[in-house]
Amino acid sequence: MIVPIEWLKEYVDIKKSPEEIAESFTSLGLLLDKPIQNNILDLEHRMDRSDWLSILGCARDLAAFENLPLKYPELYTEKGKEGGGVRIEVECPDLVHRFNTRVFKGIKVGPSPEWLKTRLEEYGISSKNNIVDITNYVMVELGQPMHAQDISKMEKPEIVIRRAQTGEKVTTLLGETIELDSDTFVLTQNNKPTVIGGIVGGIDTAVDENTTEIVLDAGNYDQTSVRQSSRRLKIQNETVLRYDKFLHPKLTEIAIQRATKLILELAGGEYYENEDWYPQETPIKQQELHFERVKTISGMDIATERVKEILTALEYKILEENEEKLKLQVPYFRTDVEVEDDLVADVLRINDYKNIPVTLIPAAPPKEITPEIYKFEEKIRDYLVTLGIHEHITDPLVSRNEKLLEQVILENSLNSEKDALRTTLYETLLPVTEIYKKHGIEEVGVFELGRVYRNKEPRELRYTEVIRVGKEGYLETSKKVREILAGLLLNLGIANVTYKKEDEIVKIYQKDLFLGEVKLDSFTLFTETLLKTERGILRVREGFAAESYEDISLTIEETIYIGEIIDFINNFHEKISNAQVIDEFQTANIKSVTVRITFLETNKTQIKEIKEKLITELQNKFGVSLRH
Amino acid sequence: MVEQKLEEIKLTFEKDLEDAVENGEFDQLYLKYFSRTHGTITLLLKELPTLSDQEKKELGPKLNLLQKELKEQIESAKKQWDQKLRNDPKIDLTVPQPAKKSGYMHPTNQVIREMNEFFRYYGFSVVEGPEIETEEYNFRKLNLPKEHPATDLQDTLYISQKDELLLRTHTSSIEARILTEHKPPIRVVVGGKSYRNETQNKTNSHFFHQYQGVVVDKGITIQHLKATLELFHKLLFDENVELRFRYKYYPEVSPGMGVDMKCNFCNGDGCSVCKFRGWIEVLGSGMIHYNTLKMCGIDPEIYTGFAFGMGLDRLVMQKFGIKDIRKLYGGGVYYI
Repeated sequence: MIVPIEWLKEYVDIKKSPEEIAESFTSLGLLLDKPIQNNILDLEHRMDRSDWLSILGCARDLAAFENLPLKYPELYTEKGKEGGGVRIEVECPDLVHRFNTRVFKGIKVGPSPEWLKTRLEEYGISSKNNIVDITNYVMVELGQPMHAQDISKMEKPEIVIRRAQTGEKVTTLLGETIELDSDTFVLTQNNKPTVIGGIVGGIDTAVDENTTEIVLDAGNYDQTSVRQSSRRLKIQNETVLRYDKFLHPKLTEIAIQRATKLILELAGGEYYENEDWYPQETPIKQQELHFERVKTISGMDIATERVKEILTALEYKILEENEEKLKLQVPYFRTDVEVEDDLVADVLRINDYKNIPVTLIPAAPPKEITPEIYKFEEKIRDYLVTLGIHEHITDPLVSRNEKLLEQVILENSLNSEKDALRTTLYETLLPVTEIYKKHGIEEVGVFELGRVYRNKEPRELRYTEVIRVGKEGYLETSKKVREILAGLLLNLGIANVTYKKEDEIVKIYQKDLFLGEVKLDSFTLFTETLLKTERGILRVREGFAAESYEDISLTIEETIYIGEIIDFINNFHEKISNAQVIDEFQTANIKSVTVRITFLETNKTQIKEIKEKLITELQNKFGVSLRH
Repeated sequence: MVEQKLEEIKLTFEKDLEDAVENGEFDQLYLKYFSRTHGTITLLLKELPTLSDQEKKELGPKLNLLQKELKEQIESAKKQWDQKLRNDPKIDLTVPQPAKKSGYMHPTNQVIREMNEFFRYYGFSVVEGPEIETEEYNFRKLNLPKEHPATDLQDTLYISQKDELLLRTHTSSIEARILTEHKPPIRVVVGGKSYRNETQNKTNSHFFHQYQGVVVDKGITIQHLKATLELFHKLLFDENVELRFRYKYYPEVSPGMGVDMKCNFCNGDGCSVCKFRGWIEVLGSGMIHYNTLKMCGIDPEIYTGFAFGMGLDRLVMQKFGIKDIRKLYGGGVYYI
């Protein structure tokens, strides 16, 4: 909201410097947005306070904050002559709450006086003529958009408000032709649209220097409709800015009285009553305030007299009061007030937030509810980082792929490259390694702890993805990948993991629990499933175990997976603590592998016995032969 | 006779020791004399029990003494050898070597972790929630009715296949979930992704990170909010950070409170960093809205609470000197 200080001073006699005034505004809720220039303040407006889109509304709060009286602008409250003669009809009462009109005859349209021009220009609206300027002035002063049409330019003296027909057009005052749709409403005469409701006036009935008779309107419309129409039509202006907020229909009365005062003063003529279409009155709210509630929210003992003083300055009317509470009539323009705490907010901000003391929470901390997965992911992160692998966060939005039946599709993305959610982390993380490569870093490990998404429950799954690329060839790279995987699992305490090739995918299992997948350059772990594993590896032992190892070399047919053999050995005997491939190579269609088996035993005879039994079983089950 | 034998051993040992000192092979030397199966001294010691009492008396102490002497000499020679190796003129400890590198945590996660650690000290739990949300949790329970401007289709990314499903537009949706699913006292923080229907550029993205805190208990006031935020800002910036608390409207709180920090570049005089305001807006906060508590099943007449939230990306970018948000999350940052 632009607030020229000279204009502001019309309502509040403040002696402070512009900087000090800006500081007060900032404290009470109107943040100074841009540096002060030429005694004009640019204050940030939030969505709630429609009255802060008026100079008077800003002045009211400032006056309360500074403990100064508020001077109201002069209104013309007398009745006009009968016989305005412009017929008003509203065909879309769902979009129009009030349509308040007056007719002026015998007016003289001409340039505005300097003071009016200057004020509008300081605000940022250029001067047109005295009538248009007055409607703009009252809009900025009181927050109610208004519109004047030349009656002589109408084929019929009427304003009929209806939904536009698709394809109907209005040429605006700026000369732009706008094509309408049926979600927009228009003011029409003789079935021709003259004004886009709540948005912008048309050129056909515009007031100019020859105008002598006008119909002035102050309407109150459905804010959602105005907002959506203006966005659709891509029109943003001072009128829309106010109409897309919640304005109270009562404001039209004050605004039209104020405009009447100015028109009679600056353009002469006479004013005639015309219809004030207002079929259902919007009630004025009442709200109770318990003094105790102020204390509950603020922890402060603010004197009841002070509370009353603040609320009265903000134009709340005390209807009833006792020791415990006030019953108040909420000012009509305070459409933002919903609950008692909003009144507490008024008290605290006018009393200045600076004056709220600072106190630490005295209560003991409640029981911890941090989920296990949070701590678990932190552990994974730490371990991968110690291995020299870098963490990245990538964009979960990807482009749509018709082949992925479970992909989540976005309905309204602005970008066709980003109209779906990823189903793997691999797809968004792999490009990161390509960026490294482009910059000459060909050997790198990256990881991401993130979510993938599906269009059915559970809609989100947490994955741990590690990609390790290098230039040493897939055989070596894939070993490095599996080393990282084994190290991660060991550090997470996850033992007895097996690798099985199923449907061309190497899957990681602990018993029947499917933990993830291994690829040549990467692995994926389902983080939530990892949490369900048996995690019992104790990596600390007292002293050194009585262990010994034996190497066996086997030749295996190509079709047999070594992972299965290792798994078999690991589960073969309680005295076997670990089986590890220490060498592998392939010739023709035969795989050769050397396995180092660790025994929790040092007695040679016993080891020999277990080993022989094992070899026999391996021969029977997998058809391996012993290589010497 | 025996004396002579011991003298011979001594002499041989001296020669063997000289050889060992030449090539550093002390293990062999040790085994020659002290191996459990064939060590010269070991064998003599093994013979002791077969000798007469007189001989035992005479030889025993001498053998023990010899054993001790030889072991000491080996140890001392070993030390000398090691010293020689250490004095290798090729070793120059002043030559810097390339760093043995660990990986690097993503800057945003580092900042989130730092914040989480801070809040856990003050008794907060770290919580999480879904990114695919319902309108109920993302808007309604946060006092954002259907017609509220913030709920416009344009700003929110909706999911095609299901009505009313969207990508959460703020981490406040998790606040709504926690308030609904847990009974007070509640003290939680949450850091995570949020989404908006925006076109990406240097400073804006369709996905971004937010950090949020929520406290609900009997007797919680805006004073506690102020104190918590003061401590938090001291962590984020420094001990001497100067804060400004002012009224600011947010739909999910009442009273709302905006928090600014005095610009550390111009000390409040106004510069391009603070857009000539002298102050930098850091976060938004307030007392949790009466309606929000009620809609989440908490009696607002018994319990009060506060919430605060902030965007993380700008802070992270500032801290790590990153100018383009697309690089922060597109692999355009790399770690040395």
